[in-house]
Amino acid sequence: MRFVWITALKDLRRLRREPVAVLTWLAIPSFISIILTLVFGPGGAQPHGTLLIADQDRSIGATMLTNAFGQGALGKMLTVEHVSESEGRRRMDRGEASALIVIPSGFTASFVTSQPVNIDLVRNPAQRVLPDIIEDSLGIMLARASSYRTASQPPPIQLDADIIPDKTEQPDGFAAIILPGALFMGIFFIAGALASDVWRERSSGALRRIATTPARFGAFVAGKLLASALLFGAIGGAALVVAHELMHLRVASFPAAIGWIAASGSCLYLMIMLIQSAASSERVSTFTTNLVTLPLVMLGGGFVPFEWMPRTLARIGEWTPNGWCVMQLRAALSGSLQPVTFASIAVILVAILFIDVRAIRRTAC
Amino acid sequence: MIEVEQLRKEYGSLTAVHDVTFTARPGEIFGLLGPNGAGKTTTIGCISTLLAPSAGHIRVMGHDVVKDGIEARRSMGVVPQEIALYEDLSAEENLSYWGGAQGLRGAELRERIRTVLDLTGLLDRAKEPIKRFSGGMKRRLNFACGIVHRPKVLLLDEPTVGVDPQSRVRLLELVRDQARSGACVLYTTHYMEEAESLCDRLAIVDHGRIIAQGTLAELRALLGERDILRLTGTFEPEHVRSALESVEGVEIIHADETLLALSMSDASHRLPMIFAALNGSELRGTTLTQPSLESLFIKLTGSDLRE
Repeated sequence: MRFVWITALKDLRRLRREPVAVLTWLAIPSFISIILTLVFGPGGAQPHGTLLIADQDRSIGATMLTNAFGQGALGKMLTVEHVSESEGRRRMDRGEASALIVIPSGFTASFVTSQPVNIDLVRNPAQRVLPDIIEDSLGIMLARASSYRTASQPPPIQLDADIIPDKTEQPDGFAAIILPGALFMGIFFIAGALASDVWRERSSGALRRIATTPARFGAFVAGKLLASALLFGAIGGAALVVAHELMHLRVASFPAAIGWIAASGSCLYLMIMLIQSAASSERVSTFTTNLVTLPLVMLGGGFVPFEWMPRTLARIGEWTPNGWCVMQLRAALSGSLQPVTFASIAVILVAILFIDVRAIRRTAC
Repeated sequence: MIEVEQLRKEYGSLTAVHDVTFTARPGEIFGLLGPNGAGKTTTIGCISTLLAPSAGHIRVMGHDVVKDGIEARRSMGVVPQEIALYEDLSAEENLSYWGGAQGLRGAELRERIRTVLDLTGLLDRAKEPIKRFSGGMKRRLNFACGIVHRPKVLLLDEPTVGVDPQSRVRLLELVRDQARSGACVLYTTHYMEEAESLCDRLAIVDHGRIIAQGTLAELRALLGERDILRLTGTFEPEHVRSALESVEGVEIIHADETLLALSMSDASHRLPMIFAALNGSELRGTTLTQPSLESLFIKLTGSDLRE
């Protein structure tokens, strides 16, 4: 256990002496975040989302109503998709759209014959601006339609607005959309740089020297893992505090969020270390790491948040290793990170650590 | 004590070490002398538990390196051919790390760090990142990291490669100090002068086999007091053999179309007779080597140690 600690201390000392590499890798996501904030952030460009419409009436009146969302200023903010009610509710459950409007069968007929009719509006609780706009717009449209009726008649159309139970509990705000992806992009890059240290230790002969001491090789790799976890925890903690203070990021639990960043970041580090130790040379290892890392960062919400990606890509991205880490960090920020997720990452860490130790020992000897 | 019995190391169809057997005792410097690729580093790799032997047995201070590797490593200090150090750490931090890897801690570790820094002449540069050190200073620190835990067995794999003459002298003196203090030192080198001046006993290795071993005096006795004369040029081996039969006391070690190696006593006085006998052959180079490990190596293998 002592060797784990002195190895971690050794790596942290070395990082302190050469902080430029870490700062460089952090600069990239920071720069991208600043650009995104300037271009799309609060007060910048207008938001964009998806409106699902389940038109069970398929009449002229229903079509006029739904077409209104695809025109003018609304049309620039919303992509309107026609779906069945069941599919629409499924997609809302998955948080894939800003809102769902269900126009019931017989809507136009009821309107013409002055019969009461209900239109269901289901809002995405993870979003605030677009569902508000959709609800207000729908309310205005229905009020305007009703104004054609005589004042003595009761309003024929009733709007029922529902907010579906918040299953993902994604935190609100621009920072919550930008920060997790950007943070894990930086961590992924730093993990790659840290993992490449194994090649430097190999070529200097330090790995061979370790293998000739009574210290366990597993303790050596665990020490490197501990150093990376402490570094990622520190970076994550600093980023969350800054975002909390300056961008009003809601952080339900700092310890849980920082713990998640440290644990999942270490997992990414071990994953890259495994890729690097399988390479035949340092050059091949760098090439392979870039080949794996860059697409994953792009897909995993690093450069562009999932909300702004085409839906199919976003769904793929959410299941990449770093994309999954991003989604779980969002859950941690909103206070809904499950203990079982922490347990899963612990199991994954131990499993990859075991494989890494064998791979690196083979590399050393 | 290092006991190596019938050590064999194979990589597929290639046998890097063939049935090597030797014993190195406490207080002794045992040398493995041979050209690059002779199998010295592979032998040290097996002893230091880096490589698993294909056959044979190795015991370090009585511990079998395969069955009881951790205990064997506890008594071992290894100074590798590479400078296996962390360049961005100071000398003190490097020693602290490698001492910690050997299980030292607290006051004992601090005392040992100070002692070996003093021993290697690096005490005044202890806190400096070693990337600012000269090659010789790094070599000395590399050595210091191998002895920080007072090993009973010290394995040195060509520790003076690329070192300036002053640092080399200092390093060799440090190695002698270790042996004087009772450590068993196994030293590999391809520098015969180093082996001659440093080692109490030697094994000469070529193509993975020990071709001779013993004290320096025993090895010299194998050669007798004979010089080695190496001639390069264009020869007809059969013609050369018959021509040299007439020159008394000349032994042909090796003869082919381009190289002739002869063993004889007092070669400098016999040169005119030899040149006369070789009249008709085209001579391009002549090298006279007096009795040494180099000449023994040539006698045993027919080739130069540095070829």
